[in-house]
Amino acid sequence: MSEVTLKQVVKAYGRNQVIHGIDLAIGSGEFVVFVGPSGCGKSTLLRMIAGLEEITAGEIAIGGTVVNDMPPRSRDIAMVFQDYALYPHKTVYENMAFGLRLRKAPDAEIRARVGEAAGILQIEHLLERKPRELSGGQRQRVAMGRAIVRKPKAFLFDEPLSNLDALLRAEMRVEIKKLHQKLGNTVVYVTHDQVEAMTLADRIVVLQAGNLIQYDTPDGIYNRPAAQFVAGFTGSPPMNFLPASMGEGGRTIRLPGGVDLPVPARRVAECARHAGREIVFGLRPEHIGIARDGDASHAVVPGRVMLVEPLGSDTLGLVRLGAADGAGEMTGRFAPDAGIRVGQGVPIGLAIDHFHLFDKTTGVAIRGADW
Amino acid sequence: MPFGLSRRGTVWIAGLIVAANGFFPAVWILLTSLKTETELIRAPITYLPEAATLDNYATAFTAQPILRFMWNSFVVASLSTALCVLVSALAAYALTRLRLPHRNLIMSVLLAIAMFPLISLMVPLFKVMRELGLLNTYLALILPYAVLSMPVCTLVMASFFQDIPPDLEAAAMVDGCSRVGALFRVIIPLSAPGVFTAAILAFVNAWDEFLLALTMMNRVNMRTLSVGITLYQGEFAFPWPLISAALIIAIVPICILIALFQERVVGGLTQGGVKG
Repeated sequence: MSEVTLKQVVKAYGRNQVIHGIDLAIGSGEFVVFVGPSGCGKSTLLRMIAGLEEITAGEIAIGGTVVNDMPPRSRDIAMVFQDYALYPHKTVYENMAFGLRLRKAPDAEIRARVGEAAGILQIEHLLERKPRELSGGQRQRVAMGRAIVRKPKAFLFDEPLSNLDALLRAEMRVEIKKLHQKLGNTVVYVTHDQVEAMTLADRIVVLQAGNLIQYDTPDGIYNRPAAQFVAGFTGSPPMNFLPASMGEGGRTIRLPGGVDLPVPARRVAECARHAGREIVFGLRPEHIGIARDGDASHAVVPGRVMLVEPLGSDTLGLVRLGAADGAGEMTGRFAPDAGIRVGQGVPIGLAIDHFHLFDKTTGVAIRGADW
Repeated sequence: MPFGLSRRGTVWIAGLIVAANGFFPAVWILLTSLKTETELIRAPITYLPEAATLDNYATAFTAQPILRFMWNSFVVASLSTALCVLVSALAAYALTRLRLPHRNLIMSVLLAIAMFPLISLMVPLFKVMRELGLLNTYLALILPYAVLSMPVCTLVMASFFQDIPPDLEAAAMVDGCSRVGALFRVIIPLSAPGVFTAAILAFVNAWDEFLLALTMMNRVNMRTLSVGITLYQGEFAFPWPLISAALIIAIVPICILIALFQERVVGGLTQGGVKG
């Protein structure tokens, strides 16, 4: 029983509201990642769950107990901070033991629990050191150790890897995932890094300007984004967007320069409601390739290669679409042996089933009944 | 550089002047305390005592209850320092960590209070203490001393608290501390140099203070050192060597205190201002 539930949670500083009524249900043992650009309110939301920020309205429950008026120490949570927040005047052992000591745990139990956590995180040899004698990665491990010795209902992580270099970050990401698989606690994790969000999460909460935009599995966030903002936030390189308009009866998508793309039959009904309106057309780089003859799943558009970026495993190519080069540019992910060259004219295939369409004014996805 | 001195040379000379200015009176008092009264008034003057004597020290202990004065000073200074540091720490914490409206205004008012001349408070303070029946009690000095040092102590500690990452305190609160618990278990231990600096300032202020001590305590056995030393002079006699000996006795505890905490205080006085 360690689910975390938010009901219509609001945060305001004076008249300035920063979190606008968020509803969220995090299951027991689930790994949920809050993601969004800086200033979207993700850290504030986490600190509200921790009790470090008061909530202006709404209700937060941890393990079925409403914790609105409980101080952080009574919420049975542990938190890992961005800058580690290790007590500089205490040894690693004392850092990890601090929470247990405050709860008046017997010495033998403290020794056992710190030893166990240190074993899991492979920091036994560091226990007598002070935080200043540790590297960034070691400090991060100690911070996690301090959290796990307490065996709390939920772990809260506030951008724990953002101070580490890229290599170490990837390593620690794996460690965190392993740790979650081993301990099975509920985890709420804040990051602005979409790779961390995609790789770690059971479910992702995408926040924008204090609003919850989408709460879904990584697959759902990536393949069925609810809004243009979500679509643009995930993937590297991100989704391509072109301004477009919806054709008669919702059967075609008209790109600039008079390029028409077909709408898949199952989506025509929904698209018909947007007929004649301005929309945003989106397509991920992996759904753009060199057209093959007789492939009905792709719409074929003439293109010209403007830039080639070989990555080894595949090659990114910036292509200009349309006969008169008027439809705009998109980045495609090509096979390294596709042999694309700058200046080359090639027929480009766009995967019809993966077209993303968004309302131009609201940014909300235009979806058929089936997704 | 003036007079063709190197930068290093100028710094040395300036340092020597400052040190001499500070040390000369103390050394002069020390030398005087070792002379006899006859030697002191003799012309031409002698700089080093011709026949150094410790008689003045012996007399200092018998002519007046100097140990009692010292005890009074110690009680007043340490209790007022403890009270001042406790209240100032809470105030400094509130000023640096809580979302207080008009924070800067409060800081400015604190600074303004620190600049009040003590003499302007003397009469009201005396009246208050008399009404409360606190004259000739330790409280009559402990309370005003604590309050008088609070603005400076608060500002010193606030500058230290500001440098401590708020997440450390958040971590302590998640780990199981209350807000005040986090202050005393994490913030204050980490700002030890700042707290020591504030404590030394408060202690020395209380130890040296004369005007209030003279006003609030008129019984001999309640006098503090600073006032007690004046009792060595008679109506017509001014026994300089004896007074000097008493002064040296009064200075010694402070010197020991500073020596013990010297590293932390020097660190404290320089650290707050410069972000490292």
